[in-house]
Amino acid sequence: MKRLPLMLALLAGCAGPAEHVYPGPKAPLPEHGVIAEDTAPKENLRMVAPEVYMRTYLQLFGGLAPLEVQKRARGADGGALFDTWDDYVSALGFPDYRFDVPRQTQTNALMAATFERLGVALCDRALEHDLKAPKGAEPRPLKERLVFAFDLPRGAVDAGAFAPRFDVLHRTFLGYPASLAPPARTARFFQLFRDIVAGHAKVDPKSRFSPDEAGWAAVCYGLVRHPEFHLY
Amino acid sequence: MLFVAILAAPLALDAPSADSAPPPPALRTLDDYRHFRITAIDLLGRMPTRDELAAFERSDFDMDRWVDAQLGGPAYVERLTRIYMDALRLEPNVDFRTAPAELYRHDVLGPDGKLVPVYYRESQRRERPETDGEFCLSPDETGVVIRARQQDVGTPKKVSQKLLDAHTVLVKPWWLYRDFRTANPSQRYGEGWKDPDPQYKPVESLLTDAEGKPVTAIRICREEASVRDSGHVYASGRVKAAPKDAKRPGGRLRPVPLDRPYATQHQGQDIACDSKMALDYAPDCGCGVGLERCVPGDSNQGGNAFYYPNHMPLGPGMPLDDARQQVQRWFPYWWSREAVRFLDDLFASDRDFREILTGKQTFVNGPLAQFYRTVQRSNCCGPEATFGMLEEKEPLFDPKSVPADLEPQDVSTWKLVPNRGPHAAGILTMPMFLEKYASARARGAAVYNDFLCKSFIAESQQLTPSAEPNLMVRPGCKTCHATLEPLAAYFARVEPASFVFLPQGDFPVHSTTCKLDKNGRLNGACTALYDPAFADAKGATLRSAYGSPAHADETPVGAAQDLTRAPEFAGCAVQRVTSSLLGRPTTPDDDALMASLTDTFVRSGFRMKALVRAVVRSDEYRRSNNLSSTTWRGGAR
Amino acid sequence: MRTSRRRFLQVLGAGAAAAWTGLPGHEAMADVARATNETEFFVFLIALGGWDVTLWADPRNEVRGIIHPASTENTDTSQLKHWVDAPMADGAFKTFELVRPRGSSHAFGPGIGDMADMVDRITVVNGLEMNTVAHPDGQLFSTTGRHPQGGRVAASSIDTMISNEMGREQLLPTVSVRYPSSYVGENLDRRVVPLAIDDVGSISRTLSRSQAFDASPERDRVTAMLSEEARDLAQRSTYPDVLEGLALQYEGVRRMLGSNLQDVFSAGGLRKAHPELDYKRRFTGGPAVNAAFAVEAMKRNVVRCVSFAVGGFDTHGNNYRGQAQLQQETFGLVTELVKSLDATPHPTLRGTRLSDHTHILVVSDFCRTPQINFGMGRDHYPNNSALVVSPRFRQGLVFGKTDPDQLLPQPVRRFTDGERAIAPPDLLATFLAAFAIDPRKYMRDGEVVRELLRA
Repeated sequence: MKRLPLMLALLAGCAGPAEHVYPGPKAPLPEHGVIAEDTAPKENLRMVAPEVYMRTYLQLFGGLAPLEVQKRARGADGGALFDTWDDYVSALGFPDYRFDVPRQTQTNALMAATFERLGVALCDRALEHDLKAPKGAEPRPLKERLVFAFDLPRGAVDAGAFAPRFDVLHRTFLGYPASLAPPARTARFFQLFRDIVAGHAKVDPKSRFSPDEAGWAAVCYGLVRHPEFHLY
Repeated sequence: MLFVAILAAPLALDAPSADSAPPPPALRTLDDYRHFRITAIDLLGRMPTRDELAAFERSDFDMDRWVDAQLGGPAYVERLTRIYMDALRLEPNVDFRTAPAELYRHDVLGPDGKLVPVYYRESQRRERPETDGEFCLSPDETGVVIRARQQDVGTPKKVSQKLLDAHTVLVKPWWLYRDFRTANPSQRYGEGWKDPDPQYKPVESLLTDAEGKPVTAIRICREEASVRDSGHVYASGRVKAAPKDAKRPGGRLRPVPLDRPYATQHQGQDIACDSKMALDYAPDCGCGVGLERCVPGDSNQGGNAFYYPNHMPLGPGMPLDDARQQVQRWFPYWWSREAVRFLDDLFASDRDFREILTGKQTFVNGPLAQFYRTVQRSNCCGPEATFGMLEEKEPLFDPKSVPADLEPQDVSTWKLVPNRGPHAAGILTMPMFLEKYASARARGAAVYNDFLCKSFIAESQQLTPSAEPNLMVRPGCKTCHATLEPLAAYFARVEPASFVFLPQGDFPVHSTTCKLDKNGRLNGACTALYDPAFADAKGATLRSAYGSPAHADETPVGAAQDLTRAPEFAGCAVQRVTSSLLGRPTTPDDDALMASLTDTFVRSGFRMKALVRAVVRSDEYRRSNNLSSTTWRGGAR
Repeated sequence: MRTSRRRFLQVLGAGAAAAWTGLPGHEAMADVARATNETEFFVFLIALGGWDVTLWADPRNEVRGIIHPASTENTDTSQLKHWVDAPMADGAFKTFELVRPRGSSHAFGPGIGDMADMVDRITVVNGLEMNTVAHPDGQLFSTTGRHPQGGRVAASSIDTMISNEMGREQLLPTVSVRYPSSYVGENLDRRVVPLAIDDVGSISRTLSRSQAFDASPERDRVTAMLSEEARDLAQRSTYPDVLEGLALQYEGVRRMLGSNLQDVFSAGGLRKAHPELDYKRRFTGGPAVNAAFAVEAMKRNVVRCVSFAVGGFDTHGNNYRGQAQLQQETFGLVTELVKSLDATPHPTLRGTRLSDHTHILVVSDFCRTPQINFGMGRDHYPNNSALVVSPRFRQGLVFGKTDPDQLLPQPVRRFTDGERAIAPPDLLATFLAAFAIDPRKYMRDGEVVRELLRA
């Protein structure tokens, strides 16, 4: 914007000598509108620090300490969802001051694989905790649910039933309503949900999750591994 | 620009909500959400929860008040500490071995054929020539030559109870007994000792014997068990080396130590048992009451001692593991915790940030109390003794400042020490800094980089052979060293790779006692502390002091004063914090912001809360990435 | 891909047409050579802390000028294979006899260890002008060719440069284990951000997946959707490359998980697969697992560069006693690695050994002072040496020199800026040029030293 008058002046200069010099308006030109110009120096999106990732992860796991989360994520069911934090700490990008290894500030494929490993553990255990009440027990109250803070709809999930529940998860992981996201996002996640529900019994017949549960778990994976979760 | 009218996150959809009346709606833009999220990331140390988001969406949410509420919280403190830990990297990859404090353990074959673990110190003086400077049972008695950190030589044979009793004793040590100072300790770890500190975890091999039975007392060489505070300089009368082919007493491998001149000259004189000299000269000095002056290892290699985590990036309360650790890493681990504790307090209490360099205060727990009370003293003195300093005279941390009520096992109890002593200067005089940056130049370079945000840019000039020892004038060196040497000089009185302080009275910058002899060599112990490159027939200059003798006498305390007065100091702190919060290096385009922030910081009395508050309220912070809502809904460019 | 005679002639012809001079800018040759580079592998090793070159590459065994050689006074010699006592001027202690490998005109110090048996395969560069004695600076200068600027890394490290040219499509472009790898600058593909870890064993645990709740195709479906999301966001961004890079990295996750690498790359599995490497050495027993990983990952053609560190060279004090043994173990590890590569077939070129297509560069922060300090150690010194084991380099060559009295780098040839000593940017530029990579694409400084390369 600031450069426009200068450019016009230069163009005028290129066009040849002016025969008449217009004296200018007698009154200030009326203002037709203001375009706010964002002049703040910008950089690329930056990676969420591993400390922040881990604190958020612990919070989503119910505000537990890392070793307690490790214990719960590993479980006693042979699920093999988690190893130890020590196995992931360098891939997550933590610095190691002892050896002057600096923190990583850019994502890489192994880090993305680690995010998947940890994200799957979180979503699977959270789904068990939130939605899979033991036989005969009452469903866990909404306030006690860690991630899936909604009730599953009765019957098949259509777009109308999916959207508000997705919004809950979207807020949980990405920090804003799904309605503000790019327009295709909700539809894209709904398609993911439907694909998983439709194929789950076939691709994973021994799964401990029902097709609907696997669908919601997949939506959770998609958000806990989402670019907007890891970059800001 | 898009707005959404929000209700406070109804979570139950088919089921009725458990929430009460909905709060008033609010208009929030995507940029508002993003600002809230990045602020939460920086000040809460995590992304906001649904409840926090719901609060944010209420019309009565006051962002400024919310920011103020987070400043000073643990996540904010961790965030700022992280900035300086990333720069200083104050975690140890160092072993701290001080021979007087380190106990090795070796199994000897007992009278019944069972292994008997015996603790000992390397190089302990003993009056028996068979064992002087060695393990307390001779190779003839045990069948093997026993040396710390080395393989045994020979075949073990049974040691009689009489021999064992003659040269070893049973002790109830501090790592097993809470009441180790009493005449007959009874409060054993896990038995009688109520509520031991949960973070104090000796390794199993210190607690149980080979058969899994609880260890109630340990066997240790008699000399090491001495509880005396002071001993006596011992002279054996051996001044002449035995002939090479002479049989060595007791089958020992190394020759019997000869009396050093100091021993001959000062025989019988008192000597402090917690000094380094005691190990060299006094057989009647040992590890003190309950072996407080020593730390145990569970093998002849040094071995393991305690459990503590390898990783705890979220702080000591949130360890990621719990590992068996080697004894020589015990104190360095706590040095690091001390530095972090110091930084945490600086930011939590919103102290004047200049105290990072000038502060006299620190925090210590049990192991650090043990270290500063006794163990650090065993770091001194060797060559310093020639200059009249037999034990450290002006330590950086005065042992008298150590809280008396902290025992070595109190690992979770931290106490403020308001004043470490006259030579204390923030982190600059903490063992962690001094060991991480072991030489005076490394220390000078670290403060230049970390607190003035300047770095040494080497010129690409060919270095030519030169006899010029003064790097401040030597071509190819002077570009950096003209600045570095005067900075290094501030640390000339703190010995390299150590923290022994050399007082001005005993160690003048320019010594006329130390001088070059006719062969061009410095006399005696002078070489250890004075620089032959800056010496002549009349005197010599203290090592690392030539860049600025005045700075050498000003010590790190002077460095702290001068650095914090430097015009770059405030700007550097602002740059570090701002750059970290913006997630990018600051550029000349940020000059106006930086000037404003620096003004805010200085006017506030160098308080970080004022600075961080100003940063997170700035437009630059709010728009610190390229996902702006102005392009958001437009789809592909 | 196998280099056929036809391919060879194509390369030759293109090279002739471009009148190749060894300097960048010869696109025709570069394009063809680059195509053949898909078969090459790289190992980068750094000796962290600054090594004493007088114990191996630039041996000194007499008191001269300011030089005080290693001796029985300051060195533990009992474990050194090639230490033979030699008299010293002052008589009290013994220094070492120079190691003169059979068939070689060059002499080395005893730290060279088992590498003395393969000096006809190595290229040694001495007298590298460092202009720094600070650890971070020296490490970055040796691996990026640039000193840091304002405390920040100024350029990509050599492993990143190489991967950007030849590793983009590789499953694991660069695996970096405590190596000072950096990803800085223009023209870089986000897929080649170094995979930085502190333990190769953790790769296997990171890649293992439970099958109790969901199946691989389902996770892949999620990953594919995330790639779309990242690309969608990238299109909405002023600076799209981080998001586009993440999209590529998601793809990388799918490929990694589809390769069943987790079974192969556990530390135990690697030790078992490569018993020829010594995991019990005092100093290099741990890093030997990284070497095993390198061989195994190259054998499976899943990696382009493996970078790792051996620590402990910063011997200011009494720990200098172990410097020679540390060197002996480090070069012993490199020797074992080369032998292991000799015994391993190339994954795509039938009938050739992996060692014929693997290129090893070993550097350090800088060297240590020629003087022994009062603590019986050596401090930092602005000279350096480096080791290359590469079929593209002239083997059996010792290049560069230092002065006899002060161990300072000496001018060795004429560069465009005049007669001067070789410096790390020159070595790195030469390394890139060996693979027809234009150094100017990545490096501000440095000139190709043709004398180091095979004709």
